[in-house]
Amino acid sequence: MHDHRPHEGAPSTGGPTPKRVVPIRGEITEIVGALSSGRTSHLVACLRDVVSRCETAALVDTDETFDPAFASQAGVDLRRLLWVRCGGHRDVALRAADMLVRCPGFALVALDLGERVPRLSTTLAFRLKFAVRRTDVALLIVGRRRLTGSSAALAIETLREGIEWAGPGPVPTRLARVRTTTRVLRSRHAASGWSPSLWWSA
Amino acid sequence: MSRFGCVLVEHFDAAAVERCEPALRESPLAIINASAPTGKIKTVLEANAEAREQGVRPGMTETEARARCPMLVTRPWVEEYVVAARDALLEAALAVSPRIEDGGAGLVYVDTVGLERLIGDPASIGRRLVHQARAVGLPARVGLAVSRTAARVAAARATGAVTVIPPGRERAALARAPLAALDLTPDLAATLARWGARTLGELAALPRDGLAMRLGPAGLRAHDLALGLDRDPFRPWTPPPFWEEAQGLEWEIDSIGALALVLETVLERLGQRLAAVALTADALEVRLGLASGGYHARAVSLAYPMGEVKPMLTLLVLDLEAHPPQAPVTRVAVSAHPIRTSAGQGGLWQPPAPVPRDLVSMLARLAALVGAENLGSPVLGDSHRPDDFTMLAFSPPVELEPSDHRGPRGWRSPRQNPATPDEPEHRLALRRTRPASRVDVETAGERPARVDARHVVACAGPWRASGEWWDAEAWARDEWDVVLGDGALCRLARDRLTGHWYLDGVYD
Repeated sequence: MHDHRPHEGAPSTGGPTPKRVVPIRGEITEIVGALSSGRTSHLVACLRDVVSRCETAALVDTDETFDPAFASQAGVDLRRLLWVRCGGHRDVALRAADMLVRCPGFALVALDLGERVPRLSTTLAFRLKFAVRRTDVALLIVGRRRLTGSSAALAIETLREGIEWAGPGPVPTRLARVRTTTRVLRSRHAASGWSPSLWWSA
Repeated sequence: MSRFGCVLVEHFDAAAVERCEPALRESPLAIINASAPTGKIKTVLEANAEAREQGVRPGMTETEARARCPMLVTRPWVEEYVVAARDALLEAALAVSPRIEDGGAGLVYVDTVGLERLIGDPASIGRRLVHQARAVGLPARVGLAVSRTAARVAAARATGAVTVIPPGRERAALARAPLAALDLTPDLAATLARWGARTLGELAALPRDGLAMRLGPAGLRAHDLALGLDRDPFRPWTPPPFWEEAQGLEWEIDSIGALALVLETVLERLGQRLAAVALTADALEVRLGLASGGYHARAVSLAYPMGEVKPMLTLLVLDLEAHPPQAPVTRVAVSAHPIRTSAGQGGLWQPPAPVPRDLVSMLARLAALVGAENLGSPVLGDSHRPDDFTMLAFSPPVELEPSDHRGPRGWRSPRQNPATPDEPEHRLALRRTRPASRVDVETAGERPARVDARHVVACAGPWRASGEWWDAEAWARDEWDVVLGDGALCRLARDRLTGHWYLDGVYD
């Protein structure tokens, strides 16, 4: 039995668009955006949410850009995270994600495709969609552009709004925080629109 | 009073082969010395009960045996078969009693004292021993008596599976047994035969003082054995740390697919032995004999203790596909490192997690896809050096609340580190560049102005860091956070030892 209701924090019908992306179990969620728009921070926050519930998560890292130190500072229990590094090979990353979503028991499988998102046929996208539904895993895909088209239940675009610097004097010495916002590109449950801004601390 | 059981497997070399090829159990089977030098006549070393019914006996030439039994099936004597079957029989007995003694090939003595309260009367203990031996593929007969010799003679002469000699009835039970049942030295047996003692009853009737005077200690020992008394110490057997099963092949195998079928057979036997004593394996070692004369050995860590054949086979096959043997395979041996795992179940409120059986198979497939070094859980190093981590095999903790609240070094549970006002909930992530790429930076004063010909819109820094200055691995750097003209928010680092600039990563 699959519960396809949106989880807490996910876009709900008629409600305001939430600040944070929360992937839906048994569905595909996509986060797209330009570099430095906050999409990876959303990804790490999703990983943190899952492992803090003592569940298991997997990250397919296409370009090996995941930083475990930053993730640990963000609260990710690294023991519950399976990190798969693909050396820049997009096809390998897709096959690894396909294997992972077919293994029941993972709460979240994240696929970070980086800047170069490959083309995915509709057939393969539907395969992923049905595999995810069968195992009730949440598949989160992060990249520059969308991958799975209409197979995704939720697609979010991230946008950077501002930067705050910090320092003891007039000249800043450190990045303080970054403000981002999200826009729903596609959702079965929520109306499209911009969400309130969210600050990410450096 | 001590009580012993004797587990006896007749025609053991033939039984060891039948254990590996169960289809041979209904056929007359002879084991021949195939390794005899060229020109030497091959002789029968052992024959099973069906072959013996048709007159085949050890010591015959293969030609004579085939003349007596045209349907005779022959197999070469393979040491691995016998060793594995012998170990399997010992482990089967060990599953019933913690004190057993290796009496030789196909013979195990079991100390049954105290087992009555666990299992029942002696007949029930005997049936349990027979059942355990059959579970590992060996047909056994069991005798139970107050001495090992009496138990062995009872097992050897019995027609049923279990024979029990009541206490005090040993002499009567042994009286009809031939003198050969005692395995006496040939000289002593010949001397006793000259005296007219052909059965144990006749030997027991001889005057003890006279035997001591004429034959010395050997005569007294033979007399004791005939009376059903054991004077030899009990030598307990303990299982070796590695358990092995092997299979010799009559043909060469040069494909992993065909090898997988043989591996499955071997693993099934190994799994039966482990299951018989409630053990699981956490590592396997496969040793392939090659047609070229060499060996191909692989060690496979199972990542999770298991006893199921299917995932173990998957892991072995994946490993052999990644590291195939260099020549056709003629012999297969698999050994397991056994451990004892306590049975348990997840908590009622424990969230679902991947089933270990599925997880190890999936991890092995992923390792074959991306490489084992690119798979696992990161563990942070005990250092301030940027990007200092190591990869460990993925093994998520099963407990809901960590018993050790500090956790292993580098692992930080979110429960230990909750979001607080001092540490905001949402942390910015860095997409790290690996390895850190060297960039050309133009500076204005000491602040970056252009990075690889891209204009710097804003920057903050330097954030100075250094470490391990006492070591050859010393490092020192100035970190800068910069916004480039294309909107990218990057972290740059200037190596203060070399003066080079690097792109650490991009905030995202």
